[in-house]
Amino acid sequence: MSGAEPVAGWSWEQVRQALVVVDQQSIVVSATGGATALFGCHENALVGSSLAQQFTDPDGFQALLAGDGQDQGAGGQLQTLTGAMVRLDCLRCLSADGAAGDGGFSILLTPAGGRRQEDQWRETRMAKLSLLNQVSDALYGADLDLEQILQAILVCMTADQGLRFNRAFVLLVEDGVLRGKMAIGPNNADEAAEIWRELAGQSAELLEMVAQYDQTIRETDVAVNQMVTAIEVDMTRTDHTLIKTLTEAHVRRVSPESEEAGAAELRAQLNCREFAVAPMITRRGPVGVIVADNAISNTPISDLDLEFLQMFANQSAGAIENSRLYAELAQRLQDLSLAHEKQREDQETLLKMERLSVMGETSAIVAHELRNPLVAIGGFARSLTRNIAADDPNLAAAKIIAEEVVRMERIIHDLLDFIRPPKLLRQLTVVDEWIDHVAETWRLRAEESEVELVLDLQAGAAEVEMHPGEIQQVVQNFLLNAMQAMTGPGTVEVRTRLVDGGVRVIVADDGPGFDPELVEKLKAPFFSTKPTGSGLGLTICAQIIKAHGGVLAAENRAGGGAKFSFILPLPKNAAN
Amino acid sequence: MSKILIVDDEPNLRLLYETEFQLAGYETRTAADAQAGLVILDSWSPDLVILDIRMSGMDGLETLQQILQRERRVRVIFNTAFSSYRDNYLTWAADAYVTKSADVTELLDKVSELLQTELTAKQ
Repeated sequence: MSGAEPVAGWSWEQVRQALVVVDQQSIVVSATGGATALFGCHENALVGSSLAQQFTDPDGFQALLAGDGQDQGAGGQLQTLTGAMVRLDCLRCLSADGAAGDGGFSILLTPAGGRRQEDQWRETRMAKLSLLNQVSDALYGADLDLEQILQAILVCMTADQGLRFNRAFVLLVEDGVLRGKMAIGPNNADEAAEIWRELAGQSAELLEMVAQYDQTIRETDVAVNQMVTAIEVDMTRTDHTLIKTLTEAHVRRVSPESEEAGAAELRAQLNCREFAVAPMITRRGPVGVIVADNAISNTPISDLDLEFLQMFANQSAGAIENSRLYAELAQRLQDLSLAHEKQREDQETLLKMERLSVMGETSAIVAHELRNPLVAIGGFARSLTRNIAADDPNLAAAKIIAEEVVRMERIIHDLLDFIRPPKLLRQLTVVDEWIDHVAETWRLRAEESEVELVLDLQAGAAEVEMHPGEIQQVVQNFLLNAMQAMTGPGTVEVRTRLVDGGVRVIVADDGPGFDPELVEKLKAPFFSTKPTGSGLGLTICAQIIKAHGGVLAAENRAGGGAKFSFILPLPKNAAN
Repeated sequence: MSKILIVDDEPNLRLLYETEFQLAGYETRTAADAQAGLVILDSWSPDLVILDIRMSGMDGLETLQQILQRERRVRVIFNTAFSSYRDNYLTWAADAYVTKSADVTELLDKVSELLQTELTAKQ
């Protein structure tokens, strides 16, 4: 400083703070070493020059000094030509006579780097938080289907007002596989410029942007969509970078050099270098991942970017899950409604059938009940026709009565024929299987009576049309007869054989056989309504077999003992 | 002359059948229910019984069972308004099954047929 002589060897050059004194015209009067270093020039060059010119915004500097015209000038921040951001504290100098006046200014310049950055950070965070707010409106507000939600997510990821990534890819978990679903982002820088230009021109709000997605960006995004849909990673590959993101449940930045499983593959598939992966997880489990990169501008992905990406991914997970649950619910409701409808229809049909059945039953009963009176009416009318003289006019009346009764009987007959359900009592049965079953149920009883039951079934797979219950009755009858005939231990054989056109069933014992008198007793039918009754008698058995189109025989065996047998005919078409 | 027992719970039908059978030359007795019928069966020993199925008290099927347990074998014809019992094999022990009709001819023919074979068998 001019005037006072400093301590020997000392000069203002040695002062490291940047302090500059300027006159009223902002010309540098004196400057410290720190100031010259800040401005990147020699003291000689600085002193005598306009300080305003050292800043990128000279007018800003002048405005600062103008301040509010008071003793204290304004403080503020400016950027020097050297690119440093500095804070200026200006204080008016005293005039030569000691009064505050136009004495110029002394200006202390301090680097504002750290604080400025922090402020910027804070600003950006605020902006992005308010964005997230907007986004949640966009995602949760309307009735969006999954497709629309994915689009909204992607637009928010890349829009200027959004998270500002160049490109974003969404992959969802389906049946244990992470699959690429949708992507957004220009395939090259030219496309990017075009799109941002177009959209900037419209300066749309985020929500509007989301709505406009269909029109503008879709056509240009064919390439990235092809890229993403080609990606498929099985969830069991826990070492894969994408799956790892899900298991660790935290966003991660994957560097261009990363050698993690799948990283190189993804870089190749997506044609990018550095990328970020954010997991989308809800309480129900992993929903998918969002992959983002700046492959066009190659802007490094900052920590702030990652932080917001995570927050956004969390919201997206919820929105996707929501839409899926909603779709599931809608489907279930539809299924339920269909089932309900079907049930209602079935019930109606059942009611109808019941009504018909009841009607049928009632009709049958009525028809039958009508028969008795008709028999009386018609019967006596006939007898009248016999007894009334031929020339008696009453004869005609009697005849008419008789005729009308005949007519009524016919109606009843037809009605009952119509109502009667078809006879479904007979079915094709494998003879051997059935005979085996029937005989086996008697094994215990046979053992109790010390009778050995021997089965010799050789009819193979031959089938006949039979009423199983009735045939069972016949065979049981034979078995009962055999056991009753034998007084001590013995053997009863049950055999089946294929004969010409039929199957023969034989029950033979080695008892005393029967004498002719016994035949009569056997033929006398005695029956019980209980299933374990004492038997039907031979006549009934004969009737049953006859009804089946077969023949029954009873005889004495040559070596002693009785033999009962019957033949059941094979069905017509199988008789060959 | 052959003896016919008619068991039917309808009084008008009993009258009709009695008239018709007597006209045809048979000796007849009637009963309104199974119990009465069995009493007549045991005391009068008819050659043939015409049995209704649907009666109050013991029905025709059970009655047949009772009849057949007797030593002496008597012919039995089921005469019923209900054709559905035809499928029930319990009725197969009877000698015939006739569906009631105002035209008594079928019944008369069956009776005649059965009694004829009876006569032939006895010879």
